[in-house]
Amino acid sequence: MKGEEKMIRLLVVDDEPEICDFLKSFFEERDFEVQTALSGGEALKAVESFHPQIALLDIKMGDVDGLTVLKKVKEKHPKLKVIMVTALETTEKIEEAMRLGADNYITKPLSLEYLENDVREKIANLAANS
Amino acid sequence: MVSRRSRPVDYHEALRDIARSLVRLKRPERLLKMITRFLDKELGLSHAAILVLDPQKSRYTIFDSKGIRKLPRGLLRFDPDHPLIRWFQSKNKDKDVHLLPGYVSQNRIRALLRDSHLMKSHPEVGKRLADLQRALQDLRAEVAIPGHVKDALVGVLLLGKKLNHRLFTQTELHFFQTLVHDAAIAVKTSEFNQRLIERNLELESKKRELEERLQEIERLRKKEQETYYQIMKSLAQEVHAKDPYTFGHIRQVEQLGIMAAKELGLDLSGKKHDILSASLLLHDVGKIGIPDNILKKPGSLDSEEWKVMRTHVEKGVKILEPLSDFKEVAEIIRCHHEFYDGTGYPRGLKGDEIPIEARIVSVVDAFHAIVSTRCYREGRPMEAAFQELQRCAGTQFDPKVVQAFVRAVKKKRQKEHKEG
Repeated sequence: MKGEEKMIRLLVVDDEPEICDFLKSFFEERDFEVQTALSGGEALKAVESFHPQIALLDIKMGDVDGLTVLKKVKEKHPKLKVIMVTALETTEKIEEAMRLGADNYITKPLSLEYLENDVREKIANLAANS
Repeated sequence: MVSRRSRPVDYHEALRDIARSLVRLKRPERLLKMITRFLDKELGLSHAAILVLDPQKSRYTIFDSKGIRKLPRGLLRFDPDHPLIRWFQSKNKDKDVHLLPGYVSQNRIRALLRDSHLMKSHPEVGKRLADLQRALQDLRAEVAIPGHVKDALVGVLLLGKKLNHRLFTQTELHFFQTLVHDAAIAVKTSEFNQRLIERNLELESKKRELEERLQEIERLRKKEQETYYQIMKSLAQEVHAKDPYTFGHIRQVEQLGIMAAKELGLDLSGKKHDILSASLLLHDVGKIGIPDNILKKPGSLDSEEWKVMRTHVEKGVKILEPLSDFKEVAEIIRCHHEFYDGTGYPRGLKGDEIPIEARIVSVVDAFHAIVSTRCYREGRPMEAAFQELQRCAGTQFDPKVVQAFVRAVKKKRQKEHKEG
């Protein structure tokens, strides 16, 4: 079954290039098609051009706030699964993200195993609902 | 960042340098950073990273990473069920751990996975090795070296590929193990030290607080004692005012006593001077409790009146009891009517049983009484007083004290004569 699936398109949004780079290779190793965006602006463009099915979105970025990106993306593409990645464990930001339609959140430092499982679960939901 | 060195790395020298730094650096953070920098620069690796245990949360995080393919800091955590952590923590529990030396390397894992005999006989080992291999790949690590202190995994050193694609040599791997072992001890020690330092600081501040409070108590107590002593002195003067001597003031009794003590060669260092001085000043303080009709009676006292009069000794002791700094004073006062031959009161002590200070007070007091004009008779000349003291030396008085006292008074008179 697994092998027959088409490659999943994953967008990684983080203003730290090393994080983007790391997560890109991690998911590519697991047969994902991955693009990265270093800013909110880049992320919004990538959503239109790359058509990801799932995005990992850092909550705190330089230019456009992760929450703003989330809001815009979810307005236009409600089906896109978004997992918020945050170093801040402030409940207000997380609550706000969930209210804006985030599919989950995960706090840094994160366990790669947990991240992978969560991404796979969201994709399974996606497949079940389509 | 290919190695800029043309000659090979001298590992012995590097180890010595780092060992020296280990001793010097109280903060292992700097040491760990030094290690990653050293490995990255000198060995020309794709990256070097150190995972350390967060003791509060029992998980490992990336402390530092350097190199062109360095790992992001702050992103990842490694829980005890992470394949790498599990492998290094199960040191003695799982037999398959012994398939690899202390460290794990991609090279060795590949070789084991190719061992079809092993894979068939122990399929679960194959699974664990595959998980381990994948974890190393995710972390871009060619080699992972654990730092244990007494079976506890303190941290892990991860090393990427050499940029020249050569494999690590045995010498290098041995060097890394020694390095990681030393660093783990440094980390553990500093953690321990840090806890000790924090604990000590806490104790220090508590101790300081306590000392301050004790000092305050001591200050108040001293003040109280001082006040009490002042009251005592005025009481003593009061007594002498009630029972007026023509021969000067109570201060003279004190002076004469001190002179006698010096003549005797008594040690008057520190508190000893104050004790003798207070005893001389306060020896009759109990007379404050003696009724005037007895104290001021012209003519001699009958036996009942003497009984009352003698209670001034115990009364004086009672008055002095709260003065804890002057316990010895109370004891001296208790003894100032004891006789050298044991026929005095209140306890009939004799000879050396009577404190020397009390023996001095006794002589000075008697002399003073003889030369003073009392309400019951006129004062007598000094020579008569000396004769009286010498007559009673050995019975009422300590002969040594009498001799010293007479000498001291005579010296004083000569001196006054010359000056006068």
